[in-house]
Amino acid sequence: MHDFRPEDPLPSPAVGTPERRVRERRMVPQEPELALLFRPLHKRALGLGVGFTAALVMFLVTAVPLATGRAESLSLHLIAQYFNGYTVTWPGALVGAAWAGFVGFVAGWFVAFCRNAVLGVRLVVLRARAEYEQTRDFLDHI
Amino acid sequence: MSDLTQEEEREVERVMMQVNAQAWGVSFGLIFGLGLLIATMVLVIKSGENVGQHLQLLSAYFPGYRVTTLGAFIGFVYAFVVGYGFGRVTGWVYNIFASPRH
Repeated sequence: MHDFRPEDPLPSPAVGTPERRVRERRMVPQEPELALLFRPLHKRALGLGVGFTAALVMFLVTAVPLATGRAESLSLHLIAQYFNGYTVTWPGALVGAAWAGFVGFVAGWFVAFCRNAVLGVRLVVLRARAEYEQTRDFLDHI
Repeated sequence: MSDLTQEEEREVERVMMQVNAQAWGVSFGLIFGLGLLIATMVLVIKSGENVGQHLQLLSAYFPGYRVTTLGAFIGFVYAFVVGYGFGRVTGWVYNIFASPRH
């Protein structure tokens, strides 16, 4: 098995092959470098990534002061204004982690969605501009 | 891609969907670090009584951090490390779930 790395250029599928038709239908650029440049983000994966990390951070934010006995001086209970059921206790740390995981998932999913949407629009504009550039002197050749 | 086996095609697709976790780590690290640096410096420049009475509570997590010019740079280092970890873990989890079998 070859060791493929993202920067390795991949061969473009030949015209008329099923792979080529699938890529054309999905508006994936045919040049391998461009396909890498315009690849979409996986929304669910980014949601899970941000959610998992946010949950971990939220748990540590509560656990560290609890373990060091400095929880009273930090006013962490104010987090309950946003995360219902959160308390500065060990069960509360788990509740906060669950909330942060949920919020992180939504945030990550939405960031990926927006990024893919902007990329899609940009791709359409680039294609339209390229097609216009190719055909704007059409009448000169008649 | 027709000259690749099905397994190789899956591997190519998996690699194409992956992100560079280290780059994400550095990006998040810089965002967190510069965010805290700027937030601290704004308060230092504004000055007044009880400068950064809330922001300096971060010293509970970042020992040595203070709302001073030196503290801003100490906070930058701490926040960069935390941000790097945040980005790295996010990229690592992303790469697990972005593979084609998920």
